[in-house]
Amino acid sequence: MSAPLLALRGVRKVFGTRVLFEIDRLSVDEGGAYVLVGPNGSGKTSLMRILAGLDREAGGGMDFRGAPAAFTSYPERLRRSIVYVHQHPYLFHTSLRHNLEYGLRCRGVPAAERARRVDEAIAWAGLEPRRATPPAKLSGGEKQRAALARARALEPELLLLDEPTSNLDRDGRAQTLALLAQLRDERRTVIVACHDQEIIGLAGFTRLRLDDGRIALQSG
Amino acid sequence: MDLLEPTRQAFALLFGGDPELWQIIWLSLWVSVAAIALVAAPSIALGFLLAKKRFPGQRAAVVLVQALLSFPTVVIGLVIYLLLSRRGPLGSFDLLFTPWAIMVGYMVIAFPILVVFTIAAVQGADPRVYETARCLGAGRFAASLTTLREVRFGILAAVVNGFGRAISEVGCAIMVGGNIAGLTRNIPTAIALETTKGDFAQGIALGFVLMVVALGVNVLLALLQGQGGLR
Repeated sequence: MSAPLLALRGVRKVFGTRVLFEIDRLSVDEGGAYVLVGPNGSGKTSLMRILAGLDREAGGGMDFRGAPAAFTSYPERLRRSIVYVHQHPYLFHTSLRHNLEYGLRCRGVPAAERARRVDEAIAWAGLEPRRATPPAKLSGGEKQRAALARARALEPELLLLDEPTSNLDRDGRAQTLALLAQLRDERRTVIVACHDQEIIGLAGFTRLRLDDGRIALQSG
Repeated sequence: MDLLEPTRQAFALLFGGDPELWQIIWLSLWVSVAAIALVAAPSIALGFLLAKKRFPGQRAAVVLVQALLSFPTVVIGLVIYLLLSRRGPLGSFDLLFTPWAIMVGYMVIAFPILVVFTIAAVQGADPRVYETARCLGAGRFAASLTTLREVRFGILAAVVNGFGRAISEVGCAIMVGGNIAGLTRNIPTAIALETTKGDFAQGIALGFVLMVVALGVNVLLALLQGQGGLR
C-alpha cells in the first residue's frame, strides 16, 4: 500500500479551556476527494486553517509526503503544496487575469506558461465572458469559480475548500458543484468542508465526520 | 474694502507670468513634492508594521505618532531650528534658511500624517487579503506588499493629506526658512507677509494657486478611486 499524501498526528485545537477537537490520526490519500462534515462549531474551518498554516497555535503536526511538520512552525514550502480557499473567497482589486496569475508569479512560472494556464483557468471556470470584468463586479458564484480556478491553476498537491457553495444562488451552486465534480474526476486531492447535501452526496467523495472533538471516516 | 481690484491684480500677476510670483510657486511645489517623496516610503512601512505586528511598546509607539499629529508646527520648526543652527548638532551642514531646511520641516510634519493614515488603512483591510496572498504562495514580504496594494487608495489619501499639510504650512517654514525673497519664500509665507504689508493682490493670487493645487490632487485621487472600481 502506498504512503498517504497527508497523515495528521495528534492535532489539537483549544479555545480558552475548551478543547475543540483532538485528532489522533487521520490519513488523506493522494488523488482522493473528501468532504469534511460536522455540526456548526465542530471545528471544520479551524481544521482547514490549521492544515493551510493559517493557525499556528494548534498542537500536533502532520507528515506530508512522509516529511514531518509541526503546525507551530509551518514550513513555507508547504504553502506551495497546500492551497486553501476561504468560505467567502477574496479576489484582489486588480483584474481577473492578475488574480489568476498571482500564485503562478509567486512560484516563478515563466510568462508564456502563466498566460497559457490563466487562459485555461478562465475557460475551466466558464468565465470567458467576464474576462474584462473587475473582480469586485463579479457575482458571488463567479467569484467562487474564479477562486477555484485560481487555486486549481497552481496545481496544488492538496486543495482545501471551505464551504464553497455557501451563500450562492441555485445557478451558482450548480456551476460550483460541476467544478467540484471535475476536480474529483481529475484525481486532484481535495478536502471540501461543507454542509451542502448535494456536495456531501457527490459520488466518489469520502466523508470525514468531525463531531464532538473527534474525526472519523463515515460510510455513505 | 474693495476686493475686486486686488483680485483683478492677482490674476494679472498670475497670468502675466510675474517671475517673482512663479518662483514662489515653484519653490513651494518642489519642496513639498520632494519632502513627501522622501518621507512616504519609510512612513508607510512604519505604518504597516505598527498596524500588523505585535511587539513590546507598539501601543506606545502608536500613541506617540498620534501625538505628533497635534504638535504645533512652530514647535517642530523650533526644534529643527535648534538642530540646524550653527551651534546645533547638525549645524555643520549649513542648512538653516535654505529650502532644504524647509523640506526637512515638511518631512517631519508629514510623517505622522502618513503613518497614522497608513495604520488606519491597513487595519481596515480585509484580513483575507494577507491570508489569501499567503495561501497562494506569497512570502511574508510579498503578502505585505499585496495588502498595501489592496489599500492603495487609503495610502494615496495619506500621501495627498501629507502633501496638503506640507504645502500649506507656514509656521515651520518661516522659522527654518526665514522667508527670504528669491530663496526660501514660499506660498504660505508669502501670503502671510504680503497680507501684513497690505498687498493683497499677491496673497490672493497665491491663495488661488494653493486652492487649485488642493482641488487638483483631490480630484486626481477621486478619479483614481473611480478607476479602481471601489466606489
